[in-house]
Order: sequence, then structure tokens, then C-alpha cells
Amino acid sequence: MKLKRADDLTTVRKEGMRLLAPAGTRITVGMATCGLAKGAGKVYEALKYEIKKQRVRADVVVVGCNGLCYAEPIVEVIRSGRPRVTYGNVGIANVGDLIASLRSGGVLHDLALMRHDRHTAAAGNESLAYAGGKPSKAYTALKEYRRTDFYKHQLKLLSSNAGTISPERIEEYCALGGYRALAAALAAMAPAEVVKEVSLSKLRGRGGAGFPTGLKWQACRQAGGDAKYIVCNGSEGDPEIGMHRSFLESDPHLIIEGMIIAGYAVGASQGFIYVNDRYSVALERLERAIGQAEGLGLLGRHILGSDFSFTVKVKRGGGAYVCGEETALLNALEGSFGEPRPRPPYPAEKGLFGKPTVVNNLETLATVPAIVLKGGKWFAGIGTPASTGTKIIALTGNVARRCWVEVPLGMGIKDIIDIFGKGAAQGKKIKAFQAGGPSGGVLPAKLLRMKLDYNQLSRAGSLLGSGGLLVMDEDTDMLDMARFFTDFFADESCGKCSTCREGCKRLQEILAGIGEGQGTQEHITLIKRLDAAMAVASACALGKTAAVPIMSVLRHFPGEIEGRLVRKKG
Amino acid sequence: MVSLKINGKKVKAGEGTTILTAARASGIEIPTLCSNDALAAYGACRLCIVEIVKNGRMVIDTSCTYPVEEGLEVKTNTPRILEARKMIVELHLARTPNVKVIRELADEYGIAESAREMGKDNEYCILCGLCVRACNEVVKAGAINFAGSGIAKVVDSPFGKTAEDCIGCGSCAFVCPTGIIKKNDLASTALCTPEGCDPTGPQREILNWKVEHKLKGCKKCGNPYAPEVHLEKVKREQHLPNEFFDICPSCRQYPVVDAEKCLGCGGCMENCPCGALELEDKGGYDKKAQLYPQNCTACHSCELVCPMQAIS
Repeated sequence: MKLKRADDLTTVRKEGMRLLAPAGTRITVGMATCGLAKGAGKVYEALKYEIKKQRVRADVVVVGCNGLCYAEPIVEVIRSGRPRVTYGNVGIANVGDLIASLRSGGVLHDLALMRHDRHTAAAGNESLAYAGGKPSKAYTALKEYRRTDFYKHQLKLLSSNAGTISPERIEEYCALGGYRALAAALAAMAPAEVVKEVSLSKLRGRGGAGFPTGLKWQACRQAGGDAKYIVCNGSEGDPEIGMHRSFLESDPHLIIEGMIIAGYAVGASQGFIYVNDRYSVALERLERAIGQAEGLGLLGRHILGSDFSFTVKVKRGGGAYVCGEETALLNALEGSFGEPRPRPPYPAEKGLFGKPTVVNNLETLATVPAIVLKGGKWFAGIGTPASTGTKIIALTGNVARRCWVEVPLGMGIKDIIDIFGKGAAQGKKIKAFQAGGPSGGVLPAKLLRMKLDYNQLSRAGSLLGSGGLLVMDEDTDMLDMARFFTDFFADESCGKCSTCREGCKRLQEILAGIGEGQGTQEHITLIKRLDAAMAVASACALGKTAAVPIMSVLRHFPGEIEGRLVRKKG
Repeated sequence: MVSLKINGKKVKAGEGTTILTAARASGIEIPTLCSNDALAAYGACRLCIVEIVKNGRMVIDTSCTYPVEEGLEVKTNTPRILEARKMIVELHLARTPNVKVIRELADEYGIAESAREMGKDNEYCILCGLCVRACNEVVKAGAINFAGSGIAKVVDSPFGKTAEDCIGCGSCAFVCPTGIIKKNDLASTALCTPEGCDPTGPQREILNWKVEHKLKGCKKCGNPYAPEVHLEKVKREQHLPNEFFDICPSCRQYPVVDAEKCLGCGGCMENCPCGALELEDKGGYDKKAQLYPQNCTACHSCELVCPMQAIS
């Protein structure tokens, strides 16, 4: 069925609502990679087996990640007229009891984490009421999710659907306000107005450099030519971070909707999503989502009866770190080496196949529907004046609880680690942290009071980057840390620039030498000279920042390096 | 034309050209290892970095890739640039200490050897990519390319095996600034087995790409002059008469234009694949074809199209 008018979405929404808040029972299993890694697949199978065995009628649904990665596998139970209950750390051994609790009408309190009386989709105004009236005693013993520390401090503009809707059902996405922004833009906004709203929102690119998205779109919109492209950068190469993966596995339609709106705004008719080939689950769900959108006529010719046509293709990449650089990504999309191109010309003028192209990070594009629905001014009011909106943070490393959260920009980094991560693991002290991936270097614990903000982080020599927050505890050897990241850069460099390729190699050798007790003060001088040359002469941010990990260790933890130096012989 | 300032000097340059071209045209030398006028700019060696001030903001970028713009202010040798360039030379010197161009460059910058604390290799390839670009952009054979990435990057034939698409033209060896591409022309070779030797005639080998090509001999002088596969590729692409390929460039007879017979129609000029013919004004409406032998390959295409048989 192809939708011809915006009103046709209502039917899809109704169907989605019926699935999300069914008359019967809906059991959801968090099956993003974080869940699957902890055995959610087996739990899913066990649930299906057990409902048959115990003769319970229920719809067992695959959903994405709700951010509580430390408590995976997560199972949620939604029953008509009762609050939704979240269960954490569900093993196959618990599944029998869980289904039995359904029969008896109670709650399995051993595993229950929280209850949801209603679910609100932040951007779409839609809300989903689960419980009518006052819930029974079995439920009131559980905290309502909006009162828990984990949710209270989050502001879910992009990720409110994640973990609630099935990434495999477009109806559920539509039910919570999905494709409403697209319909609104197509029906009531001129492309220039969409660009204006994005400019007003002061949204900055979520990939790393923080370039204002409105300016990028404006430049591409003004560029001449018949063909233009939208490229979604979903190639995250940071070690240990899986934000894009979680997003694609949880809510792929949001990204597709953002891309269509971006295409409408700049006048492009084709979009490409570049995704790491190793993200098999994400790719499968994304491709299915594109198929569903095409089936409903939300992608293709004359979207929702308008004159606007747009298609989206998925391109698989090798997951190279350097392909996060937009021109390297374009090269990889064209089928050649993932090496940065000289800039200027910028992609907005001459990008993919020589045509004007907008390259946006996946998270940037996912923010677009909310801006279109609620306006740029509203968005600019969130966060701090210079860093507006929210940021998805993957909290990882030596924290007690690893998780995936969305917070307004300007939140204190220490708060993020304490509230969501519950501090360092095993009650240890935090020694250092890293924001923005390897290029962000390491920052000492005394800078934890810093706020999550583009400018504050860049003043400290770090960056917001793609939003990984890596915590290191007191047992971390900073030289090892510097070596790990320098090796990472040496592996991930494309090898084009002499400074980056040879510089990384020499840094690796020097750090290995210091580790073996052969380092001298002259080595430190050489590191500083290498850093200066690499920072000015390399073509892309990878080469420019390849010496940042070691330089940040030298700056913030000088003792750890100097203590291992020896006097120069002779 | 746009005007910009390079080292304080006012320079005019054509739109679309690079800062490097503009600087060289006005006599300002910027060192490079990876640029060649016939090839697209690549920006691998990073030696040609300059300071560029645009709208009051300074960036450092490679002059070989940065297009000229109205009002740019470029400085090619500030202390910061020189310091970085010195480090780049040192990095090259540490990688390829025995390559002549690198040694000369190091002498120019007063570097006897790279920092003692730096590790040393004994490579010969500087990864400038000239051979790769010549093979792919000019020859369009696509026989070789980069392989690997980061510190493991090399130039190689596909999978390190025989480069099947190599036509043995030798352009890679010609552009290589280090001389590490070993192209040998062997006057006589033989395939030897325990039963005896079987002469295979003159051959060209390029050791780096693991290829051997049979050379074609000139019908006139008998000397081998070009690989057969190379000539076949040219034959396919250039629509030249078959006889053209029988004779080596030194034995070829260059055409002569008979000014008496020439009508000045320009047919020969349009047909010349090398741009060796032009029409000269002889006053009034009179025009005559003029041959520029330095561009001519003696293919005689012009002879075939001339309606007046004025070229022989």
C-alpha cells in the first residue's frame, strides 16, 4: 500500500498503536548487539517456547537497546491496562518464572527494575498510556521509570523510541510520531524554510568537528547542478564505542526520515548510508526498514503525493576510522581508497561523484525530524547557547555500569559518570577519562567538573567527537594507554600523508622504547617536534591528532612518562 | 585570472590552477616530491605546505592541492612552515636514507641525518604515488596501485603477483623519483630447461610488478623498441595505420608539408592525435599547415586525410 497523502499515515499509526499497547500481552526483548552479546537471542527463543508450554497468549517482539546495557538481557512486559515492567539480567533460567508470573497476574520482583505508567515520545508529542488509574500494589513497589536516576536526568529527543518500538515494524515507529516531521515538511514548509529552521537550531555536526549543520545545508542548497546527494556517515571507527550500531539496531527509521528531510531541504534526490560491514544486525534491520519505507511510498517517487522523490541506498564499508572523515568516506563510497581528498573544494560544492553533497553524521540526521516538528528556536533552547540540543553518550571503560544515554549538552561530565555509570567499577578512583574518541586524548580526573560542551572540551584540548566517554580507573597505566591509541592511529591511518604515516610509526617506536626503559629526554623533545609537524602538515583530522594521545599524557600525567626515562648515555 | 599575494609579491594566476603552479610561474620555488604537471594533485609528501590567509583566517595546507582564490595571502617559508618542513624531510630521510632525491633535499635543509632518537629504515619507495597516478590517469592501464594502509602501505601489483594489466610502457619507472622501479630491456633472452635453451627474443622486464613483455623489433633497423602489448593497446585506442607500428620512432619518416599544394583546410590539424600540426597565418586569408616535429610521432594520420596530397 502506497501512502498518497499525509493523512494516510493515520491508518499506519493506528496499527502501530495496536501493536505497542495491545489488548493482550506484549513481551519485548532488547536485541541490539549489547543484548545479543549477553544472550538475548536465547532468552527470546526461551520466551517463545515457554509461552507455548504454559499456554500464554503473547506477542514476543524484538526491540532495540533502551540504554541499560549493563542490565542486559532486558525483557519488558506490557499488558493491557497495567504498567509496563522492565526486567533486567534475564537469563533463560528465569524465563519460566517470568511467564508463570504472567499467569498469576503478578510481577517477578527479583528481576524487575522499573515500571512505566506511560511512555512519551519526546519529539512527536505522542504518548502511550499503559496503566489506567492507580496501579496495583505489586506495581507500586517498583519505581516509575521517569523517577529513576537513569531516566530522570536524560533528555530523550532522539532515543525515546529505542527499546520501545520494534526496529522491524514501521507501524510502531509511525505510531510514536514517526514520519510526522516529513509529512509536515512536505506539506507546509518550503525547502529553504527547513534549512532556516536547522540554522536557527544552531545544531552542530555530531561527528567530531562540530561544523554548523545549517551552514553546510545552505552551501549545498546554493550549489548549482542537477544532481545532489545526502550521505549519512554511519561509519564509526572509535574503539569500544557502538553508538551508531545501537541506533541503527533500535530505531533505523528515524535516520531514514532525517535523510529524506535533508534531501528535501537541499534539493537532493538520492541518499547513501555508509555503515560498517561488521554491523550485521544493524545492516539487516536498516535494509528491512528501507524496504518498508519504500513499500509505504515514504521513499521513492512522489513521496506522500508531493513532487519530491528520494531514494536511500545502504553502502557497506570496512569500518576504517579514517572513513569518518567526510572526503575519505566519499572516496570509499565511490569505490576507491578511503583516503581524504584535498579540501577545498568542499563536499557541499563538489562531493560524491563530483556533485554537491551533504555529508552528515548519523546522529545529526536523526536530530532533524525533532527540529522540523518543534522548530529551531525550541531546539536552540536546549543545552547551552553554543552547544544546543542533546548528545547520545556511550559510557564505557572502567565504570560500574556501561550504558547508552542521551543527555542535554552542558551536563557535567562527572554527573554523567556518577549518575548513569555509578562511578568507577569496584569502588576504585577515576584517574582519567577520554571524550571524543582517540583524537580527544586523555584528560585527568580533575577536569571531570567540565561540562559536555563543544567549546569547553576543545579548550581542554579534547573534543566532543562522536560521544564516546571512556573512563579509566586508578590502575590504568597512562603509557600503555598512549601506546594503545598510538597503535590504533598507526593501524587506522590511510598512509597517504608522509607526516601521519611516518610520524605514527616513529611515535610507536619511541613509546615502545620508553616502555622498555630506553627513553631519554631527547625522545620527549622529538615527540613534541613530531606532534608540531603532524598537526600542521597532515591532510585530515586523523593525522593532525595522531599525536594527541601521547601529548595529552605528557601534559596531564608527565610523571608517568618522565619517571621511566633514563639519562642519555655518553 | 585571479590575483593573490605570495611572499608579499603580487601574482596573477588562471582560475582553477593551484598555489604551487602560481608560485612556480612567478619564480617562487616550493619543494615537492609528489607533484607532476601531467598528473592530478595528490598531496602525499606534504613538503609543499604553505600558510594561506583567507578572509583574515590562516590555514596551513599543501600548495599543490589548494586552488588559487582572489585575495589569498600565501607565505611559503615562515619559521613555522620551515620547522614543519624540516621534520617532514627528517621523516623521509629516516624512511629512505639512501635515496638520492631525499639526500639532496636533506642537504638543502641542512640536515645531515634524521634525529638520532628516530628509528631508521632502509626503504626506497617514498610512496609519492607518481607511478600509481601515471599508470591509472595517463596510461589508463590500472596495473598497479597502493596496497595496505597506514604504516604498512606499499605500491604493488595486484596481490603481489604478476600485474596482468601491465603493458610494460615503463611510465612508472620514468616518473619514479627514486629509481626503485626496475625496468630492464634485455636484448636476447632464452627459456632454458634441462633439454636445452629456447631463445625467446628481446624482452622487457619490470621486476617490481613481476612482469615480462616481449619487445617488438623495428622493421627497418631491427632494434627492439616497445613491448608488443603496449603497441596493441595504442593500436586499439588511437586508430593508427598498422604500418605505424612496424617502425621504431628513430626510423620513422616525419611528414613534410608541401606549402604549394596546401589549401589550409585544417583537416590534418583536426586529425593529428598529438597536436603536432597547426595552421599558420600567411597574410590575408592564406593559411598553411605547419608541422611541429617535437610533438610528431610520425603516424602519418595527416597524410591519409589530406585532400591535396600535400603531406608526404
